[in-house]
Amino acid sequence: MSALTIVSLVVILALFFDFTNGFHDTANAMATPIATGALKPRTAVAIASVMNLIGAFLSTTVATMISVSMINDPSLLKPEVVFAGLTGAILWNLTTWFLGLPSSSSHALFGGLIGAVLAAVGLNGVNFVAIAEKILLPALFAPLIAGVAAWLATRIAYAITARASDDDVATGRGKFRVGQIFSSSLVALSHGTNDAQKTMGVITLVLVAGGIQKDGAHVELWVIVAAALAIAAGTFSGGWRIIKTMGKGLSEVKAPQGLAAEVATAATILASSKLGFALSTTQVASGSIIGSGLGRKGGKVRWNKAGHVVLGWLFTLPAAALVGAISALIVGTGSAGIIIDAVVTVAVIIAIFQIARRNAVTHQNVASELEDASEVVASKKQQKLAAKETAKAAKKSSNKGKGKK
Amino acid sequence: MITIDWNHLFLVAATSVLAAVSVIILFSVGIRLLTNAEHAKKSHKGSDMKALRSEALNRAVAYVMFGLSFGAVILGVLLVIPGVIKGV
Repeated sequence: MSALTIVSLVVILALFFDFTNGFHDTANAMATPIATGALKPRTAVAIASVMNLIGAFLSTTVATMISVSMINDPSLLKPEVVFAGLTGAILWNLTTWFLGLPSSSSHALFGGLIGAVLAAVGLNGVNFVAIAEKILLPALFAPLIAGVAAWLATRIAYAITARASDDDVATGRGKFRVGQIFSSSLVALSHGTNDAQKTMGVITLVLVAGGIQKDGAHVELWVIVAAALAIAAGTFSGGWRIIKTMGKGLSEVKAPQGLAAEVATAATILASSKLGFALSTTQVASGSIIGSGLGRKGGKVRWNKAGHVVLGWLFTLPAAALVGAISALIVGTGSAGIIIDAVVTVAVIIAIFQIARRNAVTHQNVASELEDASEVVASKKQQKLAAKETAKAAKKSSNKGKGKK
Repeated sequence: MITIDWNHLFLVAATSVLAAVSVIILFSVGIRLLTNAEHAKKSHKGSDMKALRSEALNRAVAYVMFGLSFGAVILGVLLVIPGVIKGV
């Protein structure tokens, strides 16, 4: 199989990955403003789409981190290896999405690539320092940083607007909704500066590996435009799921909290993009939601839910690496291997989309990690409700006991 | 031996927290003052000059605060684009 065929395949698959990334992540920017009523769903989705498009053009630091620093000498890499890594990432991502497991598109992509390079080239293939500095450490710390920023910002917002009466009209806290229009747009913009870059990085990497581009230091204009359009289209078409399901999961998020969480998310992602940190935007948004929930008076952590969210944070990269490595071993056998890998990937994509279309949209298959994260902290109201229910249940059982006597 | 440069991580942590907190402080003060203005409007019936002036002042400063918080956001975005602000 010619190098050009494989390069073209990678470009198409990478853009498909970019599209699903946008599709999946519309919720990160627009879930809270829709939940608090700051924006109408349709307007929110349109804004998110345009802001992603603009964000993709702002900076290519994250893209060149992938095409230059992550892999030792990308010109020695074969396009087949990038292909294997990408198909591994797509397979892992779609399967977890289908099963409703928390997962990160970005970590799936990095995991897949790292696994494939390790299997095909060996330990010398990847630059472990760059991976630790630009991917692993940000993966651990960015959600934490965003959480602390959101926690602090929420406390400050509530402290500054505190008055004798606590209702929204007296304190003016309802007005935070107007700010959310801007803050959520900013989150969408920052999403473009980080997530669209990952696709550009992979495409540039395969262009270098295929000998079409000399080195990965710059990103071709057509690559930027294609990646920007793919993520914007994905964001736009991802909107309908949010319109159908929102308003249930995040109903406990108040406007000041939503604003604080969004500003913290955008600040963390933008600062990271500037320094070439490729992070999971979903995890950062989740960290912010948890932080802002704790920043409100009387918020309490539900540890079992928190464990579920954190498990997804830690598990995705190594798991996708394993799938990427297996896929690299299959591809390594030659043209037949490449065809097998391509057929399996396309079959899984079609199967999962067919099943997803047949089933109604529910919380389960939407698998919005943000909703999971929003349930990590129980608000005062939710705690009271739970206490009431346990009291009711206790009363019932004690009544039953009396009846028997 | 792997040597990791921790400075960048600290830089991201510091700027993220600082930026988020500054924007929120400016915006929240704006909301506080705007609500002050509304309360002042409710309390003055007729032409109480003092209440009227207090309403106007609160409202004006509130809009300045909103402007400043919006400006801080724009500055943050410009800092991310390479080459727009020199030396960054």
